Amino acid sequence: MSDPAPAPEPDVRAFVYDSCRTRGLPPSAEETASALDRRVAEIRAAFARLAEAHVLVLQPDGEILMAPPYSAVPTPFPVRGARPSAYGNCIWDALGIPAMGRGDATILGSCACCGERLDVEVAGGSVRARGGIIHFALPARKWWDNIVFT
Amino acid sequence: MLLFSSEEHVERWCRDWRFSRGATLSLEQGWRLAGAWYGADRGDASWRRPTLEEAEVLLSGLGLVGAFWSLRGER
Repeated sequence: MSDPAPAPEPDVRAFVYDSCRTRGLPPSAEETASALDRRVAEIRAAFARLAEAHVLVLQPDGEILMAPPYSAVPTPFPVRGARPSAYGNCIWDALGIPAMGRGDATILGSCACCGERLDVEVAGGSVRARGGIIHFALPARKWWDNIVFT
Repeated sequence: MLLFSSEEHVERWCRDWRFSRGATLSLEQGWRLAGAWYGADRGDASWRRPTLEEAEVLLSGLGLVGAFWSLRGER
């Protein structure tokens, strides 16, 4: 049974998502420590607890890789028009950025098979594209087995 | 979750990379899923991940039912 309690580390979580909204990507541990006037080691421990709770995904060095739907690193799913520009972790997350921000955006997408450009526009609460479908390679129960691949 | 130009390109990609074909959604379905999953403010102190039961309701409410979309069972 899942835990119905709020996700942990509310102060860190609030800063992470505020950074995503205002800068388009999650902050480093050092930036978070500086903003919250805490030690970097405490913030890294908080990041680890948030990763354990499946709120964040971390890089091998303990920095944030994903604060879903935002990516800390460039991906094939750039989201433009939403302020500021950002990267989604996958096409679902790229759609999640305007869904979370309640704004219009264009995802500069491409076909994963052939590379054909496939822009996806979100405007006025609707999605428009000249084509394109989303493929989920893994069944839902396996998504968190390897979230980077998923 | 990747974007493809067509079902044919999904099939080709799965064949080339030796993956079993998964499930496909239209962009409209994906947009509704994104809205349902990411609509809440994750920076809010009271935010929590949906429970298993809530996630199941969310998926089934979007018509995502069946073994592929099940969150239970063998992993």
